[in-house]
Parts: sequence; C-alpha cells; structure tokens
Amino acid sequence: MPEETVSATFDVYRYDPGKDPAPRYDRYTLDLPRHTPVLSALLRIRGEIDPSLTLRYSCRSAICGSCAMQVNSKSRLACETPIGPEMERHGRIVVEPMRNQPVLRDLVVNQAPFWRQYDRIEPHLILDPRNPMPEGKETPMTPEQVEAFGETPRCIACAACYSACPAVEADPTFPGPMALAKLFRFVVDPRDTAHDARLLAIQPGGLWTCLRCHLCTEACPKDVRPSERIRDLKEMAIRVQGATEAGSRHAVGFKENIRERGLLHESKLVRQTSGLAGVASQFGQGVRIYRKKPEILKRPPPIEGRDEVEKIYEALDDPKEGGT
Amino acid sequence: MKLAYYPGCVAQESGKELDMATRWVCRALGIELVEFPTFSCCGSGFVDEANEVLNVALNARNLAIAERAGLDLLTICSTCQGMLSLANTRLGDARVKARVDGALKPLGIEYRGTTKVKHLLHVLTKEVGLDAIRAKVVRPLGGLKVGAFYGCHLLRPSDELLSESAEEPKSFEELLAALGATPVYYRGRVMCCGFPIQFVKPAVASTIAGHQIDDARAHGADAMATPCPLCHISLDAYQNQAAKAVGHPLDMPVFHLPQVVGLALGATPEELGLPRHLVPTTAAVAKIRPSVRA
Repeated sequence: MPEETVSATFDVYRYDPGKDPAPRYDRYTLDLPRHTPVLSALLRIRGEIDPSLTLRYSCRSAICGSCAMQVNSKSRLACETPIGPEMERHGRIVVEPMRNQPVLRDLVVNQAPFWRQYDRIEPHLILDPRNPMPEGKETPMTPEQVEAFGETPRCIACAACYSACPAVEADPTFPGPMALAKLFRFVVDPRDTAHDARLLAIQPGGLWTCLRCHLCTEACPKDVRPSERIRDLKEMAIRVQGATEAGSRHAVGFKENIRERGLLHESKLVRQTSGLAGVASQFGQGVRIYRKKPEILKRPPPIEGRDEVEKIYEALDDPKEGGT
Repeated sequence: MKLAYYPGCVAQESGKELDMATRWVCRALGIELVEFPTFSCCGSGFVDEANEVLNVALNARNLAIAERAGLDLLTICSTCQGMLSLANTRLGDARVKARVDGALKPLGIEYRGTTKVKHLLHVLTKEVGLDAIRAKVVRPLGGLKVGAFYGCHLLRPSDELLSESAEEPKSFEELLAALGATPVYYRGRVMCCGFPIQFVKPAVASTIAGHQIDDARAHGADAMATPCPLCHISLDAYQNQAAKAVGHPLDMPVFHLPQVVGLALGATPEELGLPRHLVPTTAAVAKIRPSVRA
C-alpha cells in the first residue's frame, strides 16, 4: 500500500552571523510521505532547492547524535522525528537550531559551551594509583552493579537535553543535564575511586540549580532520564556532605519542616534555607506578600495523625543519611 | 461526583484564594469534596531530593487515607499531583513497596494502589466534561486572551505520570475555549516557572519566570492561568523580581485555574479571592465582554 503523502510546510531558521543583519525564516513546501523524517526533508531541501542550507548530521539512524535541533520548539533528533504528526499538530514545521548554544550558521550551533560542561565533570575513570586495574583483564560487574547505571551509558551526547534546559538558559554556569547524567555514570561505577570527591566538586553551583522540571527527560532520545539521575545525585551529595549548600539546606529543611506538623510552615522554610541573612534580604518581598497574604506568617496546626508521620520518619529517615 | 479533597499546603496558607475558588467551582458543578484533616504535605519534590523512599512512604500514607474511604483523590496543585502519582508509579517497584510497607504496616496503614490521583484540570475536562461546563457558563470570557501555564509536575515525566502529551497538552486550552476565552499558545506554557530554586538561586529563578511571562505576552496574552499554586507564587507573588531579572516591567495578571472557571460561572472576584493577588487582575477582568461568545 503506498504511504499517505502530506503537503508539508517548513519554516527553516536561516542565519549567517557574519553576513546577515538578523535571522530569518525561509519557507519551503514539499509533498512527502507522512513518515518522512525531518532530516530527510531538510536534505531534500538542500539537495533540490537551496544548497546553502547548513546543517549537521551523520548517521541518520539516531546513533551519532549530530542532528539535534528544534522541531516546533521541541529539542529533537531530526532523523527520528516524522513530519506527519508535526503537520497534524501545528499545521507547519518550524525548524530551528538548538537553544543555549550560539548559532554558527543556520541549524548548526557552536557546541563549545556544552562540551566545556562535559569536561568539567572529568568524564573518565579515576583510578587509585596504588591499585591500578590489572592490564589486559576485564573487571567483571554483578548484574546489580550494572543496573545501578540506569540508562546513563546510552547517552549519545546529542545535547537535546542541554537545549531544552531552562536552568542552562538562565544560568550558563549550570553544567546541564547531560554532564550531570554522565557524572552519575561515574559516581556509580564500581571501578571509579573518586565518587565522593566528584560529588563534592560538582556541588558549588552545579547540582542545586536543577529545577527538576524534567524537560531534559522528555527531550532525551535515549531515555537516559537525566532529571531523575540528578535527583539521585542530590540525595547522594546530602549523604556525603550533609546540608551545606542553599539547595541541600532547602531540601533537608523542607523534610524536617513537614516532620514537625505534617504540613509546610512556609516562613520557617525561608529561615531554614537562607538563614538570617537570607531572611533579611527577602524582608522587603516578604512584607509585600504579607500585605495581601498574611497567612505566610501563619504556623499551620499539626495534622491529625502527625504521630504516624513521625513514625514513618523514624523508620525510613536515618539521621546519618542526610537528616539534621 | 465525590472526591477526597487534597488541597496541599499552599492553598491552606498563602494561596488560600485557590482553595476559595476551588470550593466555589466544585459547589457550582456538584462536585462533593470530602475532607481529611489527616493528609500530610506531598513533599513538594524537595523531600524526594533529600530522601526518595521517605517521600514515597508519606504519599503512600496519603493515598491509603483516600483508599480506605473508597475515594479517588482530587489535587489542585501540579506538584501535589506529580508527587502523589509518582508515588503510585514507584510503588509498582516491589523493592520500594517492601520498604514502604515495612514502615506503614506497623501503623496499621495499608496501601493497595487502587486510588487514582486526579488534578482538578482533568476532573473538569474529562469527568465533568466541557459540554456540562459550557452549559453553566453565565459570563463567557469573550475578549480575554489567556495563556495557560501547566506546571512541570502535571506533565512530566509523562511516562511515569501517564499524563496527557507533555509537549503538546491541550486540556487547559480546550477548557479556556469552553469558558469563552481565547487560548494563547506559546512555548513557555509547558516550561518551568523557576519556583523550585526561588530560595536557592533567586536571580536564576526569577529570570526563568520572566522568560515565560515575556513569552506569553509576546503571543498576545492579556493574562495567564495556572493549575499550580507554586507556579502562581513565581509568576504572581514574585513577578516584581522577575521583572527586575529581565529588566523591564511585566504587569501580567495570573489566575489560578478555578478562578477563570469561577469567573465564567458567575462568581465575583471577591468570592474567588482575586484581590489577594500581588499583580492586580482588575484590568484583565474588565476586558471580559459578556456579549462575545468564542
């Protein structure tokens, strides 16, 4: 049966920073089978209509990670994004370069910021020099040890997660999802000897800017689930170092806060996270909010059954493991 | 329809207007809210960061409370919705379940996993139904362009929450259209509001909030509406900080989900707690032209 054809409209981002005063969108309309990948369509446009269209790609099989770009605002591998559903949802296909990396030309970005963050986590095994791995021999792992990696070894470093991350967008010093998922991969590797040092090194500014918005997990073409592994790193970091950063103080403070009454005591949490200096810096804002919402200073009454909550904490929250 | 009402912490405290509006709308639509003074906080994602299994156990207890009463659970917060449904998903893992049971069984609490967690948005759009809501509209929100802002934990991770399409959700926009408003589609509607790091990295959080408000404005929104009181804090209570972060005034009124529904169903701004907002909603409400029906 011949495949259904759609008339697809592409609005493709075009920009040569050295030449063009501003980016523009060029429109191309092609009749294509509905399962055609966006990448194949772009290659047809380049081959048949406009040879100056610049894009990066290689394997066309979702293995090399070269063709990540934005398709209708979603960071995606163009080679595995079919045009049919995009046309049905949006009536057109807007193709743009990835975000959070400067455009070199058209759909090609400069990935230097992304790779710099990758370098920062020292993406290689750190071994104990006194106890080197025996040369020429494999290091067997148990199934449980392999399971601990999750899907992180599948990462192809396409940067779709980095492009989708709102924390990177607002704070380019944040390592971003890929670097942190890779960090996790080394932290759980039984051959690596720098687990705790890695967690300590990444903490200042590196871990707690993650918003756990899960946009990276949604964007990842390989189901690496960076946001969930970052969560794991946060819990590990608290175990190694305790609550020393604003982010870990907030997480541990929140946990202790609701232990007291079962519900959150909002204003107390600000004190727990930011200390007195933080409260002082938030004072003006607090007064502004208080005028409309005096409940921010209210201490909620304990829930009924707060003793049950306390017993759950006693059973599952070992104070040695991150409690305060 | 009878549901176990899980208001969450914020709607009982600084976001009380959300609770007021929810009660008004549920009364108008015949949704009976059963209250449980035993519910604890959902952990808001923070307890999950500090201790995953503890967070699952606290929510297993919440779920078991509704389960014992034979009721599904109604949330009015994207984060509560996310944390409670994530607990349901994670308890599908036998190892997690065993640890949680070990803490709950001695307290006589049994989690069986039969209680569904439903956000008000989905109860309104899927269970009450858009036709039934349309039939109760007495003041169509014609003339008002509204940008829905979903909140991360209502959508993602989509495979674990079994949510509607995380990237192309449409329930909120369909609801807004049924109320007579014009839904505004913009990239930011599925993005993050910045709230989780509001007290950790205030400048970064405010920049993120500012980006989403700017995006809604650039696409023509007169107002935004959110099903999450935490997003509301970021977008409304801290909007002045967001304006500072992006370097220009924002002036974007932000409604809670049941407030837009309530307005169309005939509630007064006072009944919906609108005067409690930091960014005034009066200009947006004044834009409503009752004669225009979308």
